Amino acid sequence: MNPLLSVEGLHVDAAGARGAAPRPVLRDVSFALQPGATVGLLGASGSGKTSLALAVLGLLPPALTARGRVFFEGLELLAASRGARRLLRGRRLSMVFQEPLTALNPRMRVGAQVAEVARAHGERESRRAMRDAVVMMARVGLAEADVQAYRFPHELSGGERQRVLIAMALLLDPALLIADEPTSALDVTVQAQVLALLRAQQRERGMALLLVSHDLGVIATTCERTLVLHDGSIVEDVPTRQLLAAPEHSQARALVAAVRPVGRSA
Amino acid sequence: MTRRLVARLLHAAAVCAVVATAVFVLLQFAPGDPFAAALDGADVPATVRAEWRARYGLDLPPGERFVRWTGALARGQLGYSASRQRAVSEVMTDALPRTLLLVGVALVLGFAAGVGIALVQTRHRGRWPDRCLGALTLGGVAMPEFLVALLAMTWLGGRWRLFPVGGIGSLGDAAGWPLWERGIDLLWHLALPAGVLALAVASRVARHQRTALLGVLREDYIRTARAKGLAEWDVLWRHALPNAIGPVIALLGLALPSLVGGAVLIERIFGWPGMGLTLFDALLARDYPLVVAAVLLATLLAVAARTITDVIADRVAPRRMQEP
Amino acid sequence: MAASTWHRLMDDRTARAAVGVLGTAALVAVLARWISPYDPTLQPDPVALRLLAPSWQHPFGTDPFSRDVLSRVLHGARVSLGVAVGAMLLSVTLGTALGAVAAVVGGWVDTAVSGLVDVLIAMPRLLVVITLVATFGTLSPWWLVVLIGGSGWLTTARIVRAECRDHLQREYVLAARALGATHWRIVWHHLLPAVAPQVAVTAVLALAAVIPLEAALSFVGLGIQPPLPSWGNILLDGTDYLTSAWWLVVFPLVAVTMTVGAALVLADRLRVAIAGEDRDQ
Repeated sequence: MNPLLSVEGLHVDAAGARGAAPRPVLRDVSFALQPGATVGLLGASGSGKTSLALAVLGLLPPALTARGRVFFEGLELLAASRGARRLLRGRRLSMVFQEPLTALNPRMRVGAQVAEVARAHGERESRRAMRDAVVMMARVGLAEADVQAYRFPHELSGGERQRVLIAMALLLDPALLIADEPTSALDVTVQAQVLALLRAQQRERGMALLLVSHDLGVIATTCERTLVLHDGSIVEDVPTRQLLAAPEHSQARALVAAVRPVGRSA
Repeated sequence: MTRRLVARLLHAAAVCAVVATAVFVLLQFAPGDPFAAALDGADVPATVRAEWRARYGLDLPPGERFVRWTGALARGQLGYSASRQRAVSEVMTDALPRTLLLVGVALVLGFAAGVGIALVQTRHRGRWPDRCLGALTLGGVAMPEFLVALLAMTWLGGRWRLFPVGGIGSLGDAAGWPLWERGIDLLWHLALPAGVLALAVASRVARHQRTALLGVLREDYIRTARAKGLAEWDVLWRHALPNAIGPVIALLGLALPSLVGGAVLIERIFGWPGMGLTLFDALLARDYPLVVAAVLLATLLAVAARTITDVIADRVAPRRMQEP
Repeated sequence: MAASTWHRLMDDRTARAAVGVLGTAALVAVLARWISPYDPTLQPDPVALRLLAPSWQHPFGTDPFSRDVLSRVLHGARVSLGVAVGAMLLSVTLGTALGAVAAVVGGWVDTAVSGLVDVLIAMPRLLVVITLVATFGTLSPWWLVVLIGGSGWLTTARIVRAECRDHLQREYVLAARALGATHWRIVWHHLLPAVAPQVAVTAVLALAAVIPLEAALSFVGLGIQPPLPSWGNILLDGTDYLTSAWWLVVFPLVAVTMTVGAALVLADRLRVAIAGEDRDQ
């Protein structure tokens, strides 16, 4: 079976300040993801894991440059045109970010922000887009979605906002969802709910999930396979069970030792 | 909201009081006794002279004169204009709407153009459209308005005869023409003065709006919008601009006094018979009641415009939308 | 802190260019008397030498009175920039003093100053200056400096007051107060150095505002009176010949625009240097 996502020799560098040499953020990263697979990307803060996610989506900030090859559904993303990449985002390849409050436009109603995904990809009728958005918001567990859809982000709780972002990401049934620390900004009880939601949606749709986190406990409950990222390089690429039992890399051992499983273990 | 409105009204009243007092004090120090000089002109009707004497208490000590004078002002009695042989309030009723039209049109056009320029600059940030427009807006801010006016008048008006070089109408006896033709003629004469002012407004707005937009583009929700697959223009128009426009409207409000000041100069150069030109003529003719009225009204105009922009800024970018 | 800001500023190419332009203008203004090829008021031959196009003998041409335009522009720089710098120094000093006093002394003094600023700032400055100047008749350049400078302290006062109030909350000031430092000492040794960068930005912006103000006044005949040249009244002389003798207007126009533009750019770069950030993307 052809991999859904194939990363080959990805390097990401940060421009040095005023004449200094560029600083490497990701060094020679390579891995592959099959359709429907659940993979965790484990790393401490500063290991470059968010940059990896952003590089796949083509959303790196101007200070960072990527080189190497990233294949998604057969298309080489880094060489593709901006228009081609834009068409993939939100439709085939989605991302959920860490801070639900700042990730939402404070001046736009949440339902409109979810519906915008449909409208960005060709849905002309705004009423239909809004209807689909409300349905999706209900499916991700937002109570009274038809009322909540007309609220502003600051009127929702943290968990509700994250559900809105998940609804936004899943609206057009993407093949791959990248979730970057989706629970770090949330309360512990809400964390479990959101992770359960992600697991359920993944199973229901058969979609691939790349879960980025510094918390092995979070990854252990959700992902069959784990990539360990340390200082810009992938140091382990093993089934999660194996990592928990016998971590090889010292960093991985430290992370395993710190694990506190959230919900069921894998 | 209403509290702020009341505060603004009180503020306006305070401004009036200060301006009136300041002008009165000023006139006391002006060379020659202004009222007496105006009154002694032969063309002032005797009735007016007597009335004026009584109202302004010219034979009374300054303190009492001040009280009478402010009392008259407060009642809306602006006095008589010797240089124009009419009541000051009549002169103002003619002049004020013309200035309002000029400033209003310039503000709206300039604001819209400025925001548009900033959007284009932001869309192509760092590339040559951005740099070109940036140089143009810098020039627009750096070049004094009267110079732009001069150039516009000479080239667009004199050389190429695209627009009239001054005044408010070329139709002669206006009443003899149909309304829409008078309207067109008015707009034709308005084009250059309003255009020059609008250019000044647009340059300033564009520079501020560009900075605001670039600042907003760093926010997380912009990244989310792009991750949704939104085209860059949609990101700018639907997400960046609504969040970046509030501070620019507020800044515009703060710049309104200088806009009114600029309008005064433009009116003088183009001969647009609004309050600015009236003020100039009045100053030259030492027609002080008219001077007082023009200064007061121009200041009031600036305050009123500032209040309106505050209200608009509050509707568009309410401050209450914060994290609870 | 001022040293690192200065270094960041000097690293910035645009800022260097702006400082260069302003420095050249200042130098020209100061040395005008010595570098002018001719006496700016000299009218050698109002018939034969009037309205000559730019040439080697007269790089900026001659005006309707056969006066050399280059010399007039150079001397105009001296007058215009002199008035502008004088007015700017006056307004910045007044504004800083009042703002600092209001912040440090507080109480009714603060309320009075803030209230006054809030009311006066609503009045269009050009309007005020025109009215003052026109009422008292034509004035010497010194009075012009006083009137223009005296009308411009409001924004500086506001900014300085805000900055001072911010700094007054900081620990080192509270410590100084606890140790019994007087108001004066606090202001002089702690506050003024702290607000100096912001005041520098305000000063440059004030300069950018005053140059066109003086030019506008002179242009309508209320400012610098002929035969003393200022960029404003040189422009006035040239208005009748805009299409025939372009050199009468273009050179003073370029002078004004470049000086004001450089000041605006410098203020912008200063702000960036103070904030310590890199340039916008």
